[in-house]
Amino acid sequence: MKINVDGLLVYFPYDYIYPEQFLYMQELKRALDAKGHCVLEMPSGTGKTVSLLSLIIAYMRANPLDVTKMIYCSRTVPELEKVVEEMRSLMDYYVQETGEFPKFLGLALSSRKNMCIHPEVSQERDGKQVDGKCHQLTASFVRNRHKNNPNVPVCDFYENFDANGRNIPLPSGIFGLDELREYGRKYGWCPYFLARYAMSQANVIVYSYYYLLDPKIADLVSKELPKQSVVVFDEAHNIDNVCVESMSVKITRRTIDKCNQNIEDLSKQIRRIKDVDETRLQNEYQRMVEGLREANIARETDLVLANPVIPDEILQEAVPGSIRNAEHFIGFMKRFIEYLKTRLRVQHVVSESPPSFLKDCQAKVCIDRKPLRFCSERLSSLLRTLELTDIKDYSALSVVANFATIISTYTKGFSLIIEPFDDRTPTIANPIMNFSCLDATIAVKPIFNRFQTVVVTSGTLSPLDMYPKILDFQPVTMATFTMTLARPCICPMIVSKGNDQVAMSSKYETREDIAVTRNYGNLLVEMVAIVPDGVVCFFTSYIYMESIVAAWYEQGIIDQIQKHKLLFIETQDAAETSLALLNYQKACENGRGAVLLSVARGKVSEGIDFDHHYGRAVIMFGVPYVYTQSRILKARLEYLRDQYQIRENDFLTFDAMRHAAQCVGRALRGKTDYGIMIFADKRFSRADKRGKIPRWIQEHLTDNLCNLSIDEAVQVAKRFLRQMAQPFSRKDQLGLSLLTLEQLQSEEMQKKIESKIQHV
Amino acid sequence: MEEQGCPRCKTTKYRNPSLKLLVNVCGHSLCESCVELLFVKGSGLCPECGTSLRRSTFRLQIFEDASVEKEIDIRKRVLRDFNKKEEDFPSLQEYNDYLEMIETIVFNLTNHQDVEATKKMIDQYKKENKDQIKKNLSKLSKDEEFLETLIEQEQHETTIRKMILLEEEKKEKAAKRKSKEALIDALMYQDRPAHDIISSHKELAQHEELEAKRATTAFSTGIKIGHRSDIVPLNKQETAQLYRYCPLVIEWCGPEPPTVDELYTDGYLRNIRTISDAERAGGFREALACHRALQDAFSGLYSFPNVSAPSPAKRKSFPQTAAHSPMITS
Repeated sequence: MKINVDGLLVYFPYDYIYPEQFLYMQELKRALDAKGHCVLEMPSGTGKTVSLLSLIIAYMRANPLDVTKMIYCSRTVPELEKVVEEMRSLMDYYVQETGEFPKFLGLALSSRKNMCIHPEVSQERDGKQVDGKCHQLTASFVRNRHKNNPNVPVCDFYENFDANGRNIPLPSGIFGLDELREYGRKYGWCPYFLARYAMSQANVIVYSYYYLLDPKIADLVSKELPKQSVVVFDEAHNIDNVCVESMSVKITRRTIDKCNQNIEDLSKQIRRIKDVDETRLQNEYQRMVEGLREANIARETDLVLANPVIPDEILQEAVPGSIRNAEHFIGFMKRFIEYLKTRLRVQHVVSESPPSFLKDCQAKVCIDRKPLRFCSERLSSLLRTLELTDIKDYSALSVVANFATIISTYTKGFSLIIEPFDDRTPTIANPIMNFSCLDATIAVKPIFNRFQTVVVTSGTLSPLDMYPKILDFQPVTMATFTMTLARPCICPMIVSKGNDQVAMSSKYETREDIAVTRNYGNLLVEMVAIVPDGVVCFFTSYIYMESIVAAWYEQGIIDQIQKHKLLFIETQDAAETSLALLNYQKACENGRGAVLLSVARGKVSEGIDFDHHYGRAVIMFGVPYVYTQSRILKARLEYLRDQYQIRENDFLTFDAMRHAAQCVGRALRGKTDYGIMIFADKRFSRADKRGKIPRWIQEHLTDNLCNLSIDEAVQVAKRFLRQMAQPFSRKDQLGLSLLTLEQLQSEEMQKKIESKIQHV
Repeated sequence: MEEQGCPRCKTTKYRNPSLKLLVNVCGHSLCESCVELLFVKGSGLCPECGTSLRRSTFRLQIFEDASVEKEIDIRKRVLRDFNKKEEDFPSLQEYNDYLEMIETIVFNLTNHQDVEATKKMIDQYKKENKDQIKKNLSKLSKDEEFLETLIEQEQHETTIRKMILLEEEKKEKAAKRKSKEALIDALMYQDRPAHDIISSHKELAQHEELEAKRATTAFSTGIKIGHRSDIVPLNKQETAQLYRYCPLVIEWCGPEPPTVDELYTDGYLRNIRTISDAERAGGFREALACHRALQDAFSGLYSFPNVSAPSPAKRKSFPQTAAHSPMITS
């Protein structure tokens, strides 16, 4: 259907539309008009993706000068495929309406591992292996060698692409990963480089967060995207953690040992080259004298080597004289690594800021700040000159070089924490140097500064006002949308006490209490008896889950559960977990269903959907606070308090609640779905926690559902399930939660749906 | 990783945790007791390389790698003389050349390449730049200054923060004491009943706490902070009608087939073979099959296809006339 959104004609590929989708588009258009950023929360399963795509594409067609590109960032490859699928159906609708395919290019981009079509390289399983092998075949010096000696292997796909691919632009169309591979096979071109090259002409680019947020990759891939782009971060509730992780470095004894090996290797290589071909080193030296600028005009194949955030002024400057010569540089790195080694030899925990680290470094091993800043660039240049094909071998050394560059570049927002041993095993010396980024804004700031509109959206972003604070940007609009429902298909409740009136809580003081574990067990037993198909439980941590399951086993609760359903458990092992998931789904498909015990912040809680019968009830045992004794977390909290006036408790609660919301949100993935959401902790009923639950859950969480005992919860659930078991067809939704064009346009409806949006 | 140990007496750190390794200008390490033994006279030869060493120049080894240890020692000595800063050079390039020169000197000295020439060079440099070396002795480079200021700033900030925290704590304590005193005063001198006074006092205290909280949450970026208390729950959705079962109405186009009850009463079942135990366990009854067969037989008896062909829609309403049940015996 064609809708008029604030004067913009939007092609919407379906015959019906949800009211909140219309509102979402309105809000989005407002942000685009204002050329500002926005934060939007809309429940999962209400069609965020299609609303985003249809509005922004319509906007691009109407105002081709204002918005030239849309960059859609998603988390995983399956999600990426889903977006491409939606885009395809939208384009089909365009064809159906206008009779021709519009001039439009949609492009998906993923790592080499997912895109490579080279018969040997693509067989590799590990992403790093694929990158390394690809580099061995496509690096510029390898290709030069191939010119002189045809026996040196190169990648034919890349050669073909390099010869012809750049002259012929991709035709209009939607190119998902499969299409790109298909296209690459047809023409014999490398799909990965083809996609990278075609990014400049694409209208919509779909790729992973990391291509934009991780400075190491972003510098290569996303540097040239125009300012007039719209960036969409979907599923953005964890965006701050992604930012922080992408800038943090961890160094252990193993890293140092490997570094020493690398250094030895390198000096051997240098000596070899000195004997064989001294001009090469001489040339490099010359380049260093002239400055990095030229050296940095990276040929695209050499990118694996290139490196993290370096302010532009550094690139324009010449490399300091002390590390110009290759041998001197090796000596320099040796000293630095030796210094790190002494720092790792600590007896107690050390926490210090970058400036004091640099000062100590200067005093102990005479290393100035300036050469440190050039460290990673210098290393990549050296590796390039030595023409080493195996880059992955030098990962340890490049980690240290990155560390050197970052610590000398940023004097604020980072902290260095050296722990002599793991907290859990205080007798075993296992020193770790954590150089952690405390400030999510460092990685994300360039994005907010560069692009005119950044859309941060997810199903669970509550409380919205936290995100602008921790990412430090000023949105033009922040809104949360609820789900319009023809029937109340979610049943959230807070179960705070057992039948014996003992309060249930995962709080530290009571978590060992036998009454609490028994009550948790009783709750689960009662629920599995009445809920059909799948039940998913989330615990606050693996350790807590283990202790509770052990207690249940002794109390005979496990046996009682198994009378009704099969039991599966998530573990830290990824393969084991996916096997458990597979069998869980199988058990839900046939028979009486199953129970899955898993952990908040684990793999299951992020990205596995339990739609329909896979998850009829979700139980959150306890408030999933992060491990508060971690020193890195403490440092980050302190930083947030000092720099952004966010109190520790506020942040901790915010973090716990967003994970709780993520967990319970797994159960509902659409309007025809239904599910029970149980928050089993007394503390959830406090105003500060309850107020941070997403609005679409909160509005069903009435006061009478906030302080239930197990018995009462079972009664509520029974009534709810009976209600939900009634047949439900599209006709029931029509006019309420599903609108035709006429219904949407009626004034009465416009007024009615206004209440579904809430601005913050 | 290999264990650190004394090369002479072969003691390792594992065997003697309090082992202290010392190192002299030549870069070879010795443990403390060996040093005492070998250098009783105050000077002697290095057991590794034979360089004559003085006891007073032995110092603690900081780094595991002896070559690094030695290099740093040399570097520190060289840097004491070569202490020009970036500002002393007219261009960046010259400064960089100077830095490289230092590196070369250090490299040569540590690796014993052209030691004589290098030493000569150092001496010459010393002579030429006597004044400047003295002048720069206590000067810090730009970067160092920058770091110093940063560290100072940091310390300053932490002290201020501590003070603020302390003050807040004090204030809080004072306020608490004050309110307690006020309560006692009120209890002493006012005529109202005691529980009334206490409850009003509690209310006041709660109110103040809320105020304080609000004050700390109103902050920086200009975005209003605070928990959304103004959520209006949506009006409750109408619950859908319960599903009601209504029996199927079938158009037979023929005589009405007997009902299941009639099967029993009118003896239809006598023509049916008795059911086996296995079949009964599967949930079958004789009546089911019989009933179905009769329905199949009766339906459509009155319809004549050549008179009026039944429309496809009509056919749909007929019960399915599938394969006959093998259980029927005519």
